[in-house]
Amino acid sequence: MSDHSHEITPPAAEKFDAKHIGGLSQILLVCGVGGIGVSAIGFFVARQQFAFSWLFAFTYFFTICCGALFWTSLQHATDSEWSVLVRRQMENLAKLLPWFALLFLPLILFCAPYLWKWWNIAPGVDPLLDFKQGYLNHTFFYARAAGYFLFLAWVSHSLWKRSTSQDADGAAKHTFAMRKFGIGGIVVVALAISFAGFDWLMGLDYHWFSTMWGVYVFAGAAGSSMSLLVLVITVLKSKGYLKLVNSEHYHIMGKFMLAFSIFWAYIGYSQYMLIWYANIPEETIYFRIRNTDSWWYFSQFLVIGRFFLPFPVLLMQATKKTKYINHVAVWILVMQLLDIYVIVLPALHRTGFRPSLFDLSALVGIGGLMGWLFLRNLVQSNLFPTRDPRLLGSIKLSN
Amino acid sequence: MAEYRKIYGLGAQFESAAALMHAAEKIRDAGFSKWDVHTPYPVHGMDKAMGLGKSWLSTPVLIGGATGTLTATLLTFIPSWGIYPMIVHGKPFNWATVPAFFPIMFELTVLFSAFSTVFALLIMNQLPKWYHPVFNWERFSRVTDDGFFIVIEARDAKFSETKTRALLEEIGGLHVTLIHD
Repeated sequence: MSDHSHEITPPAAEKFDAKHIGGLSQILLVCGVGGIGVSAIGFFVARQQFAFSWLFAFTYFFTICCGALFWTSLQHATDSEWSVLVRRQMENLAKLLPWFALLFLPLILFCAPYLWKWWNIAPGVDPLLDFKQGYLNHTFFYARAAGYFLFLAWVSHSLWKRSTSQDADGAAKHTFAMRKFGIGGIVVVALAISFAGFDWLMGLDYHWFSTMWGVYVFAGAAGSSMSLLVLVITVLKSKGYLKLVNSEHYHIMGKFMLAFSIFWAYIGYSQYMLIWYANIPEETIYFRIRNTDSWWYFSQFLVIGRFFLPFPVLLMQATKKTKYINHVAVWILVMQLLDIYVIVLPALHRTGFRPSLFDLSALVGIGGLMGWLFLRNLVQSNLFPTRDPRLLGSIKLSN
Repeated sequence: MAEYRKIYGLGAQFESAAALMHAAEKIRDAGFSKWDVHTPYPVHGMDKAMGLGKSWLSTPVLIGGATGTLTATLLTFIPSWGIYPMIVHGKPFNWATVPAFFPIMFELTVLFSAFSTVFALLIMNQLPKWYHPVFNWERFSRVTDDGFFIVIEARDAKFSETKTRALLEEIGGLHVTLIHD
């Protein structure tokens, strides 16, 4: 809701001036190409390590972009006023999703047997696998992966296209169309991120299962995606753009960061609690690997760093409304990185932490490439939806 | 009898929420402290227009929540470590048993925070209250329908029956009325 007091004339459109990017675009591209180049060496000399490192970096950025699509969809589904000023940046982040299909190709084409143990096990060898044959078979696996990317690309592109078209023609029909895409988009993100989580992460050990897995992956993704949005907005503001975004908008984004820190802890704990309490070897294996040897320190640090530290800090209104929100946002993004690392890498190095150059190269490579693509998206359209019917409500926002 | 009753304050009606907001800003700037606005629905931004600042409700809630966590911690650890130590389900018998107690800590934190919110809110709003002088003003019943009101209390140091009346009229107040206790 906005206040009822002051009349405001619509603000002029803001467009990002490419000169503000400076050399950043080239640096990101060099990082991207360099990182992917080093990873390519890993592809030939240490295929298995490459596969896990690549999956780790891929999942990190992919889930964050899925989170951005979730937030975009949510704003339309709930007809939100507050978010109009910051919404274009969510759309720009979500617009990166189709590119992940390309980055997923090396995994599904050349690394599947290294990552997913069930891939090459013949029927009749493992009765537990035979029971899952209806879901865990090559054809269905390919079809599902294609489905995730197709649907995510369709919804994210449509939302971006409609929103930018409205900048030009100001037609109300786009708002109604985006509302439909938003409501459907929530379902698409929920299904895609859950089942992608099942297929690519839970599938690292086909014996193990957790029905909360999809929600767990989503909870971390949504919170870190909001953190990234905060940082993007702050950087744009520091360059002199988006002056209309004020502490009220940061307050709301901070509240979402707090909510999703709690939600992550709630889901993560519930999953742990049920497995710990039931104590069935088939289920406990996941935590047995991650709570022994050097992985134990990673797991403990994750619990403290992803929840117990940000929770009291974000609880204070002062944090959410001042520059400290940026520090917390960086911290949450680092913790999300740790979370994905602890999910993926222990499946390979079961006896403890073993760092690899390819972890870093995959991260720098995919991150650099995505950053470069994001900057390309940034200059393509206005920095906020200039003719959205709810824009004035967002400008006059008060909590 | 009416003429012997104490004066409670001056009330004025305003045409719209926007007019009320402008009026509230002016009264805030005039330096009044014992006054209030009354509207049929919550008006966002009014707390700023009135110069109210941040509510102190969060302090009792934090204290309540922390008390809840502490209570739950003691309620679970004292019996299972001290009074009735018992191994259940073969679970560890040390600090590592804490996951079993998290639900209780969580629930009591929520429960105590909720209680402290409700009771602090009642105290802050001086509720329950069976009588309020503003209801002596017949027009005021429209506050639940379409009326926007400002009432400045007589106990305000800046209150003056004539000057405050002039101020309310100047900022667009209609039906400025003296309200008796």
